[in-house]
Parts: sequence; structure tokens; C-alpha cells
Amino acid sequence: MENIKLIVNFLGQLLPAINITLIVSLSSIILGSLLGLLLAAARLSQSVILRVLAGIYVSVIRATPSIIMIFLVYYGMPLLFNGWFHTNIDGWNRMYFVIIALTLLFSAPVSEIMRSAYESISKGQMEAGLLVGMSPFQTFYRIILPQAFVVALPNFANSVVNLLKEGALTFTIGVVDMVSKAQMIVANNSGGYAWQTYCALALIYWVISLAIDKGVSLVEKSYQKKRKTIAV
Amino acid sequence: MSLDTDFMVKVAYTAIHGVPVTLKIVLVALLISLPIGVLFALIRIYRIKVLEQFVKFYVSLIRGTPIIAQILIVYSAFPSLLNTIIGKAAFDINPIYYAYIVFTLNSIATLTEVFRSALQTVDKGQMEAGLMVGMKPRQTFWRIIFPQALISALPNIANATLYLIKNSSLAFIMSVKDITAIAKTEAAFNYNFLEAYLVVWVYYLIICYCAEVIFYLLERYFSKYRRPTKKTTGFNWLPFSIKQPEIEAKTDLTESERTNHAQN
Amino acid sequence: MLKIEGLKKSYAGNDILKGISINVNKGDVISIIGPSGSGKTTLLRTITTLEEANGGHISFAGVDNDFQKLNGKDIHTIRRNIGFVFQNYNLFNNKTALQNITEGLIVARKVKKSEAEKIALKALERVGLTDRQNHYPSQLSGGQQQRVGIARAIALNPQVIFFDEPTSALDPELVGEVLKVMQDLANSGTTMVVVTHQMNFARDVSNRVIFMADGYIVEQGSPKKIFENPSEERTKTFLTDILANV
Repeated sequence: MENIKLIVNFLGQLLPAINITLIVSLSSIILGSLLGLLLAAARLSQSVILRVLAGIYVSVIRATPSIIMIFLVYYGMPLLFNGWFHTNIDGWNRMYFVIIALTLLFSAPVSEIMRSAYESISKGQMEAGLLVGMSPFQTFYRIILPQAFVVALPNFANSVVNLLKEGALTFTIGVVDMVSKAQMIVANNSGGYAWQTYCALALIYWVISLAIDKGVSLVEKSYQKKRKTIAV
Repeated sequence: MSLDTDFMVKVAYTAIHGVPVTLKIVLVALLISLPIGVLFALIRIYRIKVLEQFVKFYVSLIRGTPIIAQILIVYSAFPSLLNTIIGKAAFDINPIYYAYIVFTLNSIATLTEVFRSALQTVDKGQMEAGLMVGMKPRQTFWRIIFPQALISALPNIANATLYLIKNSSLAFIMSVKDITAIAKTEAAFNYNFLEAYLVVWVYYLIICYCAEVIFYLLERYFSKYRRPTKKTTGFNWLPFSIKQPEIEAKTDLTESERTNHAQN
Repeated sequence: MLKIEGLKKSYAGNDILKGISINVNKGDVISIIGPSGSGKTTLLRTITTLEEANGGHISFAGVDNDFQKLNGKDIHTIRRNIGFVFQNYNLFNNKTALQNITEGLIVARKVKKSEAEKIALKALERVGLTDRQNHYPSQLSGGQQQRVGIARAIALNPQVIFFDEPTSALDPELVGEVLKVMQDLANSGTTMVVVTHQMNFARDVSNRVIFMADGYIVEQGSPKKIFENPSEERTKTFLTDILANV
């Protein structure tokens, strides 16, 4: 009972820092999806070079620990910018580095999800669209995309949850997010109530993950309903 | 911009001592969590009362929370927990044991889901055929269903292993002297962090690619029964073909198996 | 030899079998025909307890009991004495053709491995697939897989073999080889119960034909009677329809 009270109390102290987590996650999701789209396009393109480069990129990211990616971006980018553009970006908000790192990480699985979703929609659909007189773009936009979206959705949501969890490493480069807030609370209590604090932290992430899962299954259900009503 | 290559070579030499530590964490976690993952998957598939709820809860909790939160909880809760059991000696425990605990707990959740979907891809006709040649459900499960499920699970086990290898890079937070920790310490003297992490990165790339090749070979070896003809396929160079193994629940073997269990 | 009385099965509120009684004698080759959804497959599956019956009585191989009172030992005895050939073959995917046959002998019957292989080879010879013994199911054509399925059933030397639409999943050009094997079996005196849509087989090979519809046995008798002079209107309609489509 005592512990539950403590956890609730810590929840109240941690929650204000949630906006960092949300900003970092949302920006990375948007930027990462765009980059992922480009990568998917590259992997589906006619050019062998583009396909191989995108393939290497995806496989390297797949083998890169998130923490290493964050460190590499954080320590490497200022050097790169200094060397190439002679600009000093040391003063950047550290959050930007995390967003860039997560964008790079997120884009790889997302590109794979987009690619396999696109490939799962049969060629026949494109041909059928062209045959009834739609332009390739119209066919893609009106026929392929909605179907690919449904196919990709569960995997995409899975990647979003992963991104959210990777975002918890933001604290490692000194951004005051929920994790680092939790560590501060523990430090302020001279190490006391540590596990209760971290449980509160885990709880917040758990609720967000559950919400994402729930949201996705709702969207999926509504799509299935639509499909049924159309079929009838 | 220039990199201190001498320093990088030096880090490469010292950080290599962290490789066995990383591998140890990965192997211990895998070896313990594989059988437990199978067990948990079976609990879910056979819908064993109460336990099923526990497994569901456990998997959702672990998968819904960042590994860093799990590390912090275990690392803060276990020492004092052990303290009450074995006394002061608890604080002298090698932190690698905490790493074993965290990463095992984490992998169990991943592998439970892996085995659950793999077991569901095996057609329920396989069980029926086993029963009709006179085998018991248990015999059919271990001799026919499980080997097939294991092989269809291999790509996902590979994914889980990669995930585990990458996550193990956070062991330094528990003051485990793994690759990352060693490089970090080295870099702290002269602030050569970029160089140090580049070296660490290369180590992880090598470890991950080795794991991928091992799993690729395992898959090739064990799925001989799946290849329709004996044509030799050229070596499929992995980095260019990352598989997203499709999880496809073909049939629900739950229903028939459960009734059969009830009858026998 | 195998006697079923009043077998009932319902699923999700629908009655699939509404009291079926069958008597199979040694050496019988019985064809069960009827429209899809009439409960033919369910009949075979409930007798072998792959599906639970909701009522009825079985006397077979020393078991003499109501379906709902069968214990584990009874079920084992029943299954042990019935061979089953599945519509989708259901060969063990991770075993070779030979191992598919020896598996049951070694594991369930405790036959020695060398002995089991001898029996299996003999069974493979009967279906003409000795040269495919080391092939995995995925390396065999549908017709070959089904022949291995038949060999697997006969190797266990059951009192009766059930065939559940053994040719329905096959490409038309592969149906012949399987039917031929079945015909050879019938000629050698194997007791068989065959659910089939192959009217030629029902007419030419079996000694009794059962026509089922809506969970009932509508009528049964010799092939000559059923095909040339059916007494029920439903049988007539069914046969006219199906023969018109051949």
C-alpha cells in the first residue's frame, strides 16, 4: 500500500517531463517515415546502385545498437559540421541530436515495412487501375496506398512502440526527460525509493504503449468493417 | 575534422576484452529464455488458466516498457531484495548477474511471442496425423509439431538475438565491463568519445553480422525438408536481403489439441 | 466388425450428424457419397474421435461403449485400429517418406527400427514409391504425397482404413494414380471406408454405397442399386446433377 502511494506520488513528479518524450518521438516518427519512404523508393527503384546503398543502410542500422547511434550522432555531427560546413553546432539543443539519431534508426525498419506492404499488393491492382483509365499516380494514391496502409499498420505500430522505448535513452546525452528526472528523484532521496520511482517511470511508458496498441486495433477494426460493408 | 586513429587502435585492443562479456550476456540470456519462452508460449496456446493471464501480463509489461527502465528497476530492486535474503554479500555480487537477469527477463517476453506464432503456423493436420498413427499428443508435439515450429521460428529467433545483442550494449549502466563500458572509460581521459564509439560500433556490427550468418546457416541446414527441389541456390548475401519474417497464423491448433488432451 | 449406432454431432448449434448408424464388415469397401456439407467428413472424424461426438455408440476392436464415455484407452484402441488417409495428406513435413511410415511404428507400436523400415519399404512398394523413400513431402507431387499417406496407413495394419476425400485436393491429372492404388488395396481385401466425389470409384470398386445428406444416411445399398435404381428422390437428384457435370 505504502509503495503504491509512493509510485503515484512519483508519477506526478515524472509526468511533466513527458513532453520531451512526446516531442522527440513524434518528430522522429515524422522525419523517420519520410526518410523511410525515400529508402523504400530506393529499394524498389530500377537503379542497382540505389538499391544496394539502401540495402546496406538498412542492414547496418539493423545491427547498430540505439545507444551507439545516439552517441555517434551526438559526438560525430558537430565534428562533421565543423569540418564540412565550418559551422559550429555545439550549441544546438541536445534534443535535436536524439531526434536525428532516432530518425536514422526508425527509417530502416519503416522502409522495410513500406516496401513489403507495397509488394504485398499485387501487380494486378496497378494494372486494373490503369485499365479503367486512372493515371499511375491516381492508381497508386486511390488503390495501392489504402491497401498498403492496412497491411503496414500493425508492423508500423510495432516500430513506433520500439521507437518510443529507444527514445528513453535520450537521457544518456543529458536531456532532462522522464528517465533523467527519475534518476534525479532517486538522487534527491539519496538512493531511496529507487525501484518505486523506476516503476512509476515504466508505468508511464507501458500506458503509452498500450494506448498505441489499442489505437491500432481500433483503426484495424474500423477498416475491416468498411471492407465488409463494401463487400455486402 | 580528423580522427585520432592511434587512439582508435588502442581502444580496439582494450575494448576487445569486453567482447566475451557481451557474448556471455547474450548466450546466458538466450539459453535460459529459449526453454522458458517455449513454456510460456505453450501456456498461451493451451490457455492454461491463471498462468495464461500471468504470461499475457508479463509479455505486455516487458514489451511495453523501455529496457532502460527494466535495467533501472532490477538494478535498484534486486540488491536490496537480495540483501534481506543473503545479507551484506548481496552488494558484492558481480553486476553481470544483474545483466543476466534483466536480459533474460526481457528475452523471455520476446521469445514467448516468437514461439507462440511459430507454433500456430504448424497445421493442425500434423497433430491429427500423429494421433491417427497411434502417437500420443505429447509424442506428436515433441516429434512432429515442435521441430517444425522451431524451424519456422528461426528467423524470428535471429531477430530476437540481434535485439538482445544490441540491448546488451546498455549493460554498462549496471557497471558491467562490456565493450561500451571499456570504450567509454578509455575515451573519458581525452574526450575522444567519437573515436571510441566508432570502434564500439564496428564491434557490434561484426557481432551482429556473425549472428546473422550463424542463423542463416542454421536455417539452411534445418529447413532441408522445405526445399522443393535440390537445386543449389547461390549464397544469399545477407546484408542485402533483410528478411521481415512474416508471421502468419494459418490455423488455430489450440482447439483440436486441447480437446485431444482432455480426452487422453 | 465396426458398428456405429445413433452417432450425433453438433457444432455451434448446428446439427451436423443427426443419428448415423453404420455397420462395416470385414472386407467391405464402402463409399460414402453426398453433397458437400452433408457431414461425410465429420462422420469419419467423429468415429476416430478427432472430433468429439455428442451421442451414439461404438463397438469396435473390443471397445463397446457410448462415444461420450470413451476413456483414453478406448480412444487409443480405436485410433490404433483405424488407418486414416487425409484429404490434405497431412504427411509429417519434417520427415522423409520412409520416416513418415516408420514414425508411428517405432513411436506408437514400439517396433524395432530395422523391422519398421522393412515394413515401411514394403508399404512403399505397394504404392509404387520405393524410389522416393528419402524425399521430403515438399519434394513430392500431391499424388505421390497421398500415396505415401496411404502407405503410412497400411503399414500400421489397421482393421479398417478411412479415406477422407483422398483425391479432392489433387490436380485432375494426379487423381488416377491414387485411385489405382486404392483399387489395388480394395482388390487385396482391405476393409475401406471412402468418402469420395469420384463416382466411378464408388460404382466400380466399392461393394456398398452410402448416400448422405443433411446429416442423415438417406439410403444405402449395392452400387448397382444406388446408381441404377435409387429409391429416394434426393439420391436421384444428386446423382443426376453430379453425373451431368462429369
